[in-house]
Amino acid sequence: MNKLLYKTLKPISIYALLVLLLSIPAYYFIVDQIWVNELDKHHYALRGKIESRFTKLQLADSTIEQTIDIWNKIEPGSVFTPHPTKNITKDSSYSVIRFDDYLQDREQFRCLSTSILINNKHYRLLLETNMEEMDETVMAISVVALFFFLLLLAGFIFLLKRFSGKIWQPFYASLDALKAFRLNSDQPIRFEPTAILEFNELNQSLQRLTERNINTYKQQKEFTENASHELQTPLAIVQSKLDLLLQDQSLSKGQSAIVAAANSALARISRINKNLLLLAKIENHQFEDAEQLDLSLLLQETADILAEHLDSKQLSFEMNIHPGVSVHANGVLLEVMLNNLFVNAIRHSPRHGNISISLDAGGLRISNTGTTGLEPEKLFRRFSNTSPLSPGTGLGLSIIKEICDRYSWPLSYSFEKDQHTFFIRL
Amino acid sequence: MKILIIEDEPALAESISLYLSGESYRCEVAGNFDQAMEKISGYTYDCILLDLMLPGGDGIQILEILKAQNKQDGVIIISAKNALDDKIKGLQLGADDYLAKPFHLPELAARVFSIIRRKQFSNSNIIEHHELTLDLLGRTVQVNETLLALTRKEYTLLLYFIGNQNRVISKNALAEHLSGDIADMLDSHDFIYSHIKNLKKKLHEAGCSNYLKTVYATGYKWEI
Repeated sequence: MNKLLYKTLKPISIYALLVLLLSIPAYYFIVDQIWVNELDKHHYALRGKIESRFTKLQLADSTIEQTIDIWNKIEPGSVFTPHPTKNITKDSSYSVIRFDDYLQDREQFRCLSTSILINNKHYRLLLETNMEEMDETVMAISVVALFFFLLLLAGFIFLLKRFSGKIWQPFYASLDALKAFRLNSDQPIRFEPTAILEFNELNQSLQRLTERNINTYKQQKEFTENASHELQTPLAIVQSKLDLLLQDQSLSKGQSAIVAAANSALARISRINKNLLLLAKIENHQFEDAEQLDLSLLLQETADILAEHLDSKQLSFEMNIHPGVSVHANGVLLEVMLNNLFVNAIRHSPRHGNISISLDAGGLRISNTGTTGLEPEKLFRRFSNTSPLSPGTGLGLSIIKEICDRYSWPLSYSFEKDQHTFFIRL
Repeated sequence: MKILIIEDEPALAESISLYLSGESYRCEVAGNFDQAMEKISGYTYDCILLDLMLPGGDGIQILEILKAQNKQDGVIIISAKNALDDKIKGLQLGADDYLAKPFHLPELAARVFSIIRRKQFSNSNIIEHHELTLDLLGRTVQVNETLLALTRKEYTLLLYFIGNQNRVISKNALAEHLSGDIADMLDSHDFIYSHIKNLKKKLHEAGCSNYLKTVYATGYKWEI
């Protein structure tokens, strides 16, 4: 049963249970009242009939006494007692529970104690009728109530399942659409129109919301791309001016050092700008065409190209590549990803550290020596890892992540035994 | 040699012009589409540097016109866009090279040198430079009659220096030329030092004069 449906079922069931519980005493009192009234009426009728029939018989006193004697012995449920005329008591009706010799059980009786006049002589007449005991009545009513409660519950579940499922169906459809929604896919959500007002309003609001989000996201992407483009020309101018300045024969040593420092900083700006542009282009789906690429071969090539950089940092390097691992991807992006992974490992390894790479059909693993683990949740965010010790662009890992996301390759990071490890499942 | 710089940013055009001028190059500048059209229809250039985004028209159109007129001018596209499509389209339309902004002037100079050499000496793949002889097809270098055993990187560096004679080249420019995007990502440019050292040593041992000078703090210079 669904959560939402269960929520509706619970209060309804509790309410039904309460109502049925309340109905138990109510039913008992009503049944009891009707029964007692009926029995009392019946007792008075009996009394009247007995009195009038005795009178009609016009028996002698002695015969009457004999008859009453026999009556008392034979007739169950009625007892005559001679009664002095002087102290006639009022009639009384009452219920009593006592052990019955004949039925060998506790029984409840409704009684009428009345006075009867036969041949001018007063007798006390006690009429008793067996009725259902109170507890048994309550029990029977409870059982019935419980039965109806279960019937109601079963009915509720059946109806809720049947109709709620139908009623909430558009809601679940919207939920599925929202789950499938990806901001960077540029595809606005399309909801099916429903017959229910609230759901239509919900869908319209969701649609407006996602459209606004998509637009904002698009503008942001465009902004990044445009800003990066616009920066390229002024960067080119500054770069060219610095290159020219270097040609000046009259530069002092101090001035040369200043130009060199400016050159390095400018190189970093150009790099950041280039990487931002690359990210924007990936997001804008500018690397759509893909082909089957031999990752093992590409990895080997990248390693060869970077060998001298490994050497210059005196890093020990282990590589374990299964041949023939291929992926379907864009060549440019794959190369960018491998370069970034490698260079990242080289940059962040201390001198004499080690780097190990392994590749098989399951995935690509690259580890390098490090001192402290990185925060996994901040790791792939743009500009979150720029450290003053090794100033990079702060975008390398974001680019790796973006490319992995593009091809749905899960990318994970771990830090164990002084080793940073990145693993890409293929 | 005549070079036409078609670039709408006067500051950049001026830098390029200043850097390339002298020795054997003479530069002219066109700042917009019409000026560029006027120049290319009136004269022939050894190399044209073409910015694709121009006021008054698209740089691609200029390429198309050059192609239609069957002109032999070498063309290097310099663009801020660095879009793969533009690059492919430009090269298909007959451009000889594509350089994305921002670039190092020595990089541009090396490419201009390479194109002019190809156009100028279309049948020869030999560069004669004082006592050095470079065979571009065989990728071999001789000092006088001695054959040098250079690594690929050393050979690339030598060619780069010859294309930038008497110019100071920063370490950044050298690193980028040698390792492209990867140099971009590495913060240390130490690896250049060992290549330069080896190149110098090999040249010296073969009896070549010491043209390759270290410039304090900034870089290196091939001084003739």
